[in-house]
Amino acid sequence: MFNLSELENDALIEIFNIGVGQAAASMSAIVNEAVRMSVPSISFIPRAEAARQLGKSAGLQERICGVSQHFAGAFETEAILMFPEDKSLEIVRLMVGEAVPLKELTEMEQEAMCEIGNIMLNSCVGTLANIFQHELQGSLPQYHVGTSDQILTAGGSQAASVVLMLHIDFVLERHQIHGYVAFVLDISALRDMKQQINLYIARAMGQGQG
Amino acid sequence: MSTSKTVLIVDDSRVSRLMARQYIAGLRAGWIVEEAGTGEEALIKARQVSPDLILMDVNMPGMGGIAAAEQLRQELPAVPISLLTANVQSATRERASALGIGFVGKPITEARIAQLLATLEA
Repeated sequence: MFNLSELENDALIEIFNIGVGQAAASMSAIVNEAVRMSVPSISFIPRAEAARQLGKSAGLQERICGVSQHFAGAFETEAILMFPEDKSLEIVRLMVGEAVPLKELTEMEQEAMCEIGNIMLNSCVGTLANIFQHELQGSLPQYHVGTSDQILTAGGSQAASVVLMLHIDFVLERHQIHGYVAFVLDISALRDMKQQINLYIARAMGQGQG
Repeated sequence: MSTSKTVLIVDDSRVSRLMARQYIAGLRAGWIVEEAGTGEEALIKARQVSPDLILMDVNMPGMGGIAAAEQLRQELPAVPISLLTANVQSATRERASALGIGFVGKPITEARIAQLLATLEA
């Protein structure tokens, strides 16, 4: 089993908190309203269990729309932004404003959700990369619709594989739309991230190389 | 009063091109907006329309925005180019700086587009 010390765990939460704060600011600029985000919760669990928990906390028994991006570099992660499927058109409308006719808006719904995911996930991951002082290369965003299990499987991880699930809830305050961001890392990626966290801690304590 | 200028928006996201176009139209009526969805298209389009400003996404299928900007920098050395990207990493800012091009992070907002257009009138 993979373990983090109390200090490493604390640093991990703090780093993701900063990243999530940037993502919230980006989302707020996209939809032009206040966005509130939770403190990230962390769990080491089988991927299937991660999906079950996500579905449960989201209160979503049915379909979610998700935008995922794979990031590689100092560590690898699958970052996923999720909304209830029935809210996606409303979010896109908030993004582009009233000028675009509904028919055109519907046509570009998936593309717009991909761009929202691209901006939010890069905002968070880019902040992590800057903190770790290592570049992370992102794939093009992928759009998925399905259950939480199907969305998490789309990244290619096996149901039994243990993952680090970093889960953040956010809410668009005026429209009361809830969304979720999750970062899935397998054990190998976790070791890489742990190394980066320790370098960060060493730098914070003035023991780093610069 | 400013004379009409041509802005080339390069982005694989149709909605981003639409938003940038809307903001430019609102801020500078009469300016011409051209679009390209990939780096390769951007090279072709730039040769055709001789833009006054190029706004370039980074992460696109095929030729990425950095490679396209590098080539355009050589072909059109006098034309201002700015990255307009979700990739807010320091490494990307440093690449932009090394190429002598601007950098503006997404999301696309009216204020950010206004800031880019103002560079043409400085």
